[in-house]
Amino acid sequence: MNGFLEYVPGDSLLHRLNPMAKIAFAVLFAIACFCTSNLIFLAAMLVLGIALAASCKMMRPALGLMKAVLAFSVILAVLLLLTNPSGDVLVELPWGYVGTGSVLAALTTILRLEAAAIPLFLAFYVTKLTDLSNAAVKVLHVPYKYAFTFASTVHFIPVFMNDMAAIMEAQTARGVEFDQGGIVKKVRLMVPLCVPLLVSSVRKTNSAAIAAEVRGFDLRTRESGYKAYPLTVADVAVLVLAVALLAAAILLQVL
Amino acid sequence: MIEFRDVHASYDEDIKVLDGVSFQIPDGEFVAFVGTNGAGKSTTMRLMNGLLKPDAGQVLLDGVPTTELKTSQIARRVGFLFQNPDSQICCSTVREELLFGFKALGEEGPDAEAAVDGVIREFGFDADADPFLLNRGTRQLLALASIVVLAPPVVILDEPTTGLDFRECMKVMGIIRRLNEVGATIVMVCHDMEVVADFARRVIVMSAGAVVDDGPTFDVLRNPHALGRASLIPPQVVDISLALPLMDERLVESPVALANTLDEMQAAVSEEAGR
Ligand SMILES: Nc1ncnc2c1ncn2[C@@H]1O[C@H](COP(=O)(O)OP(=O)(O)OP(=O)(O)O)[C@@H](O)[C@H]1O
Ligand SMILES: [Mg+2]
Repeated sequence: MNGFLEYVPGDSLLHRLNPMAKIAFAVLFAIACFCTSNLIFLAAMLVLGIALAASCKMMRPALGLMKAVLAFSVILAVLLLLTNPSGDVLVELPWGYVGTGSVLAALTTILRLEAAAIPLFLAFYVTKLTDLSNAAVKVLHVPYKYAFTFASTVHFIPVFMNDMAAIMEAQTARGVEFDQGGIVKKVRLMVPLCVPLLVSSVRKTNSAAIAAEVRGFDLRTRESGYKAYPLTVADVAVLVLAVALLAAAILLQVL
Repeated sequence: MIEFRDVHASYDEDIKVLDGVSFQIPDGEFVAFVGTNGAGKSTTMRLMNGLLKPDAGQVLLDGVPTTELKTSQIARRVGFLFQNPDSQICCSTVREELLFGFKALGEEGPDAEAAVDGVIREFGFDADADPFLLNRGTRQLLALASIVVLAPPVVILDEPTTGLDFRECMKVMGIIRRLNEVGATIVMVCHDMEVVADFARRVIVMSAGAVVDDGPTFDVLRNPHALGRASLIPPQVVDISLALPLMDERLVESPVALANTLDEMQAAVSEEAGR
C-alpha cells in the first residue's frame, strides 16, 4: 500500500521530468487557478490535471484526493452560498438571499480547489523526495541542510500517520470507542494519544538525526551530489506551458 | 470459542492478505501461530478482536460474528498485546496506565483499584514510575500487565517475547502460562520455536495467507513438510527426539514442555545403548 504523498515508482513522462520543473509547473498551475474565476477555464484546468494523473497511472490517488478536496470545498461552497448574496434571487434567507451569483461563486470555489490541488499532490507522487531535495540543491543552490530538513519533514508525515493509526488501534483494542460518537468525543479521546505519538516522534527524529550526523551530514555540500539535474527540452516546454497557463488565466480575468 | 470460517481479508482491494483461513479455538486452549514475515499472522490476530473485518467469510466470537459487535464489547472479552508496546502505553505513571483500561471500559471503582494494586504487587512494578522511561522488557511487561489486570477470557499476544532477553522472555511466558492455567484462552504469534515448543499445546502454521498445518505442538513440529513451507526449523529437542525412535512415542504422550524431557531422553539413550 502506498502512503499519503509517498512516491509511486514509474517511468512516465511526468516521472522523468526534472523535479524542479514539476514543482514549478504545479505551483504556477495552482496560482493560475486562483487568478481567474472563469468557469470554463477552471474546468479545462481540472481536465488537464486529471489527464496528467491518467498519463502517469495515478488515477486512484488522484480520485482519492479529489474526494477529500471535494468534502473540504463543499463546506466552503455552502458557506459562500449562504453569505454571498448576488445575482438574481433564487431563495430568500432571513439575512439575505441565495442568488445565481452565489451559486456561481460556490461552483467556482469547488472547481478551483479541485483543479489547483491535483498537480501539487501529483508532483509528490511522481517525484522521489531525495531527487526533489537534491535537485533543489543542484539547480536552485538551496543549502543542503534546508533541503534535507524539508525532505525529512515530508518524509515523516506518512510515518507519523502510520504511528497514529497504530496507536489508535491499540487504544481501540483496550476498549476506547473511536468508532462511536461525534467529533467532539473523538477529539477528547485522541488527546491522551498525543503523548505516545510525541514520545515516538521525538525518539524517531532524534535517532534519525544521530544517524545522519555519524554518517558525515555536516560535510555534505552542493558538490557532494553525484547526480546532475539538467533541464531538458521537455522541462523547458513544461515550464513554458505553465507560464502560458498563468498568462491565460490573468488575461481572462482582466478582459 | 473463536472460529474462523473461510476468512478472506485484505488491506488494499488488490492485495489479498488472507486467502480462505478456517480454524476453531475452543476455550482454554494455548495456541501458537508461526510462519514467515508477512504470512498474515498479525492480520489474523487483528481479525480476532475486530480491529479488521473480513472481506468474506466469518470470524465468530462465541458464535457471534465480529461484524455485529462493537469494539468495546470485544475489548472486554479479548485482550490484545501489540507487537510494539509503545503504541499502547499512553499514561504518565504505571498505576494510571493500568487503570486506563478500566476507564476506557467505564468500569472505574474500588474493584478496579484493587485489581490494579494486585497486579502491581504481582509484577513488582514501581507504581509511580514513568512508563516511557522503563527499559524495553519492563515496558513489554507493563503492556502485558495492563491486559492481565482486566482479566479477559481470551488473550491475544503478537510476538510477546521479541526483543526480550532470556530472563525477561521467561518472565513474560511464565505469566502467560499462569493466565492459561486459570482458564484464559491464549493465542500467541511467536517466531521463537523453542518458546513455542515449551509453552504451546497447539500450533497453527501459516504461509502466504493460508493455514498450512494445524495440530498438537509435537505433531506439527515434526512435520518437516509444513514447517519447510513456512521456512521454519524445528527446535533441536525435536531433532534429537526424532533421531531416537523410542523417544518418539514418549513425546507424543506428553507433547507439552519438550525441553523438560531430558530425563526421558537419557533413559531412551541408555536403553538404545543397552541393546
Ligand atoms: N496496515 C497495512 N496496510 C497494508 N498492508 C499491510 C498492512 N499491514 C500488513 N500489511 C501487509 O499484509 C501482509 C501480512 O502482514 P502481517 O502483518 O499479517 O504479517 P505477519 O505474519 O504478522 O508478519 P510478521 O512476522 O512480519 O509480523 C504483509 O504483506 C504486509 O505487507
Ligand atoms: Mg506480525
